[in-house]
Amino acid sequence: MLTFVALASVLLLGIVPEQTEAISIYTGWERHALLGSDVRLSCSFFSWRGTSDDVTFSWTYRPDGSRDSISIFHYTSGQAYVDNKGPFRDRVEFVGNPGKRDGSILIKNLDYNDNGTFTCDAKNPPDIVGRPSSVRLLVFETVPIQAGVITGAIIGVVLGLLVLIVVIYYLMRFLVARRVFSLSVSKQGKKKREGTQARQ
Amino acid sequence: MLILLAGIFGIHIIGIIILLVATIDNAWWMTDVISTDVWARWIQTSGVWNLTDLPTGSHYPQDYLQAVQASSVLACIFSIIGIFVFLAQLFTLEKGQRFTISGAFQLLACLCIMIAAAIYTDRFHLDENDGWYGHCFILAWIAFAITFISSIIYFVLRKKTA
Repeated sequence: MLTFVALASVLLLGIVPEQTEAISIYTGWERHALLGSDVRLSCSFFSWRGTSDDVTFSWTYRPDGSRDSISIFHYTSGQAYVDNKGPFRDRVEFVGNPGKRDGSILIKNLDYNDNGTFTCDAKNPPDIVGRPSSVRLLVFETVPIQAGVITGAIIGVVLGLLVLIVVIYYLMRFLVARRVFSLSVSKQGKKKREGTQARQ
Repeated sequence: MLILLAGIFGIHIIGIIILLVATIDNAWWMTDVISTDVWARWIQTSGVWNLTDLPTGSHYPQDYLQAVQASSVLACIFSIIGIFVFLAQLFTLEKGQRFTISGAFQLLACLCIMIAAAIYTDRFHLDENDGWYGHCFILAWIAFAITFISSIIYFVLRKKTA
C-alpha cells in the first residue's frame, strides 16, 4: 500500500512538470484574400509560464509547390525585424502585442505569388518546446463562395419556412381558442346573473 | 393489429435507411475507374482509390448539383422527423382520426427525393456512354416509391384503440 502511494506520487510529480513546459501556438488554418488587399495573419500562444521579456516570434514563408522556407519576420528582445531583402520586402508590418502573447503580422498589397504556407514559431523562455503552427494563404481575384454554403443555405431556408408555418398555425389556433374561451366565459356570466335575478 | 403497426413502422424505417444510404454512399454514377456521387468522386489510379472534387464545367452545372444535394438531405430530414411525429401521434391522436401530419412529412420527403433523382437523371452524365448508374441512384428511386406508399398508408390509416 505504502509502495503504491510512493510510486503514484513519484509518477504524478514526474508528469506534472512535463505538462507545464510545452507551449501551444495558434494560427488560423486558411486565409482567403483578394488580390491587392492586405491580410492579417494572426499568431498567439498558450504557455503555463508568464510572458517573459525574452519572448520571440518568427514567421517563415514557403511558396506553394516549393520545399524551401524563407524567414520573413522575427521579433526578439522587444524589437521587430521585418523582411528587407526577400519576396515581402517593405510589405510586412508587425501588428501584434507581445505583452498579450499576440505575434500577428500584416502583409500588404497581395499578389498571386504570395500563395503559400506561413508558419509562426513562438518561444517563451524557459518554455521553448512546442510545435510551430501554419496558416495557408490563398489569393483570389474574387472571393468564391465555398461549396457547401449554398447547399446549406437552401436546406436552412426550407426548414426555417417549415418551422415558421408550424409556429403560425399553432399561434392562430391559440388566438382563436382564446377568443372563443373569453366569449363563452362572458356568456356563462350573463346566464348566472339572469339566473340570480330570476330567483329574486 | 400490432402486426399492422409493426409493418407500417418497418416500411418507414426501411425508407429512412434507403434514403440515408442513397445520400451518403458513393455510387450514383460508376465507370471502371470512377465512382461518383453528389458530394465527391473516387478515382482509381494504379490500384489506389483517390478522393477528388467533382468536376466544374458546363457539363457539370453547379447550381443543379447544389439542388440535388440540398433536396436529398431535406428528404432524409423530413423522413426522420416523420418517424418521430408518427410515434407522437400514435399516443396523442384521438380515436378515429387519421395520421395526416406523418403522412404530410413522408409526402414531403417523397417530393424532395423525387426532385433530387429527377434533376440528377436529367442534367448529369448526358453524354457519357462508358458508365452506368450505381446502386445509390437506384436506391434513390426506390426510396421515392417507398416513401410514397408510406405516405398513402398514413393518409388512409385511422387510429383504433389497440
